Amino acid sequence: MSRPIPLHELGDKEYIDPANQACQGCGGAIVSRLVSKALGEGFVRAEVACCGPAFMNIRAPSIYVEVFEGAGALMTGISRGLKRIGREDVVVMGIIGDGGTVDIGFQGLSAAAERNENILWVCYDNEAYMNTGGQKSGATTLYAATTTTPIGEYSRGKLERRKNVPLLMAMQGAPYVATASVAFPEDLLGKLIHAKGIKGFRYIHVSSPCPTGWGYDPKDTIKVARGMVQSGLWPLYEVSDGILRLNYKPRELKPVREVLKMQGRFRHLNDEEIDRIQREVDTFWRRLVAKDGGEIF
Amino acid sequence: MGRWEVMVGNKAIAYAAKLARVQFISAYPITPQTSVVEYLAEMVASGELDAEFVNVEGELTAQTAALGASAAGARAFTATSGPGLLYMHHPMHATSGGRFPVVMAVIHRSVKGMQPDHSDMMAQRDTGWIMLECENSQELLDTGIMAFKIAEDERVRLPTIFAGDGYILSYTAEPVEIPSQEDVDAFLPPYRSSYPLLPGLAEEARRVQMEQWGIGQDPQLRWRRQQEAMEAAKMVIMEVNEEFYKWFGRRYGNGLVEEYRCDDVEAFIVAMGTIASTARTAIDRLQAKGRRIGLVKLKSFRPFPSEEFRRLGAMVRAIGVIDRNISLGSGGITFQEIRSSLYDLEERPRILGFHAGLSGKEVRVGDIEMICEKTLRAAKGEGPPSLVEWI
Repeated sequence: MSRPIPLHELGDKEYIDPANQACQGCGGAIVSRLVSKALGEGFVRAEVACCGPAFMNIRAPSIYVEVFEGAGALMTGISRGLKRIGREDVVVMGIIGDGGTVDIGFQGLSAAAERNENILWVCYDNEAYMNTGGQKSGATTLYAATTTTPIGEYSRGKLERRKNVPLLMAMQGAPYVATASVAFPEDLLGKLIHAKGIKGFRYIHVSSPCPTGWGYDPKDTIKVARGMVQSGLWPLYEVSDGILRLNYKPRELKPVREVLKMQGRFRHLNDEEIDRIQREVDTFWRRLVAKDGGEIF
Repeated sequence: MGRWEVMVGNKAIAYAAKLARVQFISAYPITPQTSVVEYLAEMVASGELDAEFVNVEGELTAQTAALGASAAGARAFTATSGPGLLYMHHPMHATSGGRFPVVMAVIHRSVKGMQPDHSDMMAQRDTGWIMLECENSQELLDTGIMAFKIAEDERVRLPTIFAGDGYILSYTAEPVEIPSQEDVDAFLPPYRSSYPLLPGLAEEARRVQMEQWGIGQDPQLRWRRQQEAMEAAKMVIMEVNEEFYKWFGRRYGNGLVEEYRCDDVEAFIVAMGTIASTARTAIDRLQAKGRRIGLVKLKSFRPFPSEEFRRLGAMVRAIGVIDRNISLGSGGITFQEIRSSLYDLEERPRILGFHAGLSGKEVRVGDIEMICEKTLRAAKGEGPPSLVEWI
């Protein structure tokens, strides 16, 4: 299991250039900064289509291929190739968006997990196809308004629940699976450094709020991300060898209403809809707490 | 010294990969390719071949994983057929765009039906891969070994397909000479990438990456560089073909085209793949009857040997082109490209196009004799100056 690591313990060196093309307040850019600091010199980065190329300016060997669905395959190949040239010491990591992870890239993700490829998959989850203007993905929260689930007389936003891909990966038996949030950098850094030391398939799914797509003031990215965790909309947990542990376990969760109302994408929600989200969050949280410290199956 | 074995075409392909000491194989089954990866799986399982053998979950992953392994600096191989090749289409652009020298065997299967034609590879025509066509199992084995040397040449650095007709080659046994590992090792040294994706090479990796993205430069530059590499590949293919001959005593024309009994002819036909074998018999029969017609086998479809066809076209009065493909709404693909190559000649020969063997329709010696007779009539100035027919 991981141990939280404060940012200052990793020194002053930054691997991401100060300037990049990400939007103001981009959660994904924060993920990139923290991932590169945690992994340091010894990694290579794989990238497929997503917002990622906007914050690709990490001083590490990187490869970008315009094969949106190919992250699992690309990292598989790099990892096996490096093994063949005697460089298994190099961490093969991808910072992949939620579309490239839970939707179009899911087949390759699942197969890479099945083969237990020696790769570190970091999904930065902004809950929609934000690079193309904010279309619904399999990671979009229930009722959220996106450009393809707009609010109108006949539409209340996204009508499906989000896919729970971290648990799917855990059920596939991946050696290490974790969720994380940009609002809890010590937790994320601890998980990255823990994952770095493990061989095999590692999956870290990071909640990365997007001011552009979610409709809030860019200065509030951390506030929104924190609210997601504190309300149970995005619980922080990790699964190591089939044992689940909750990493953030308040005595009482905050109501989801507060953090939902901070975001334009949920502005249309009525009480009934908020209640449904609250009920689902409560149920999932209750089940997670019951599993805390024990086997997931 | 090599040794002889009676084997099917798919086994010859597996031997090519083994003798090239591939370090990475991505495997996914599709008829009629499947036994290629089965043979390789057995070779890896028995310890005969030391390579990463990855059973992937689809051809898209097979291609993308081979790309990744090549980017990391390993010699990568995969194989597929028909619809599997179509599924690879998307990442194939990335493999060539990144200049990764992946080698792939294509065992032709039509995109309409299970039987062979060249429609699967022709649908990849513009992906930026070198495409070398083979007519028998020996040629598959030999071309497979040459493919790595061509693809990895610093002047080229392009992924390469070597291809043969499904069923007709894949599952038909014939005697094949397997070169010795020592000779192949001497002919084909281990792959050393100049641009491995590794820490410590960050600046260079970033420069290559920026070139691939077309950032900070003329956005067309990467297209132009790839086209220049394709042009350079013509010379490299001819060199490798000659070097192969010195080592192993076999060569395939000049590597780009092979002339068969083309001395003192007034016309020739053009064919690719196994149809060329059938055509040899037809040419023998007709020349025995005094007909002055030969065969030009098109071996390198990409890069396309336009210069060779200009040279050959200047020597005859008519050309008959057999296409085991069609660009629907336009016509036979090699017919059009040869016709276009002849444009700059002062005196152009007549050129006839024939569609034959699509979706595995059988092409008999008699069919080709008829094609030859029509081409000879055109050489005598009879009939229309250009013609397209379905056989």
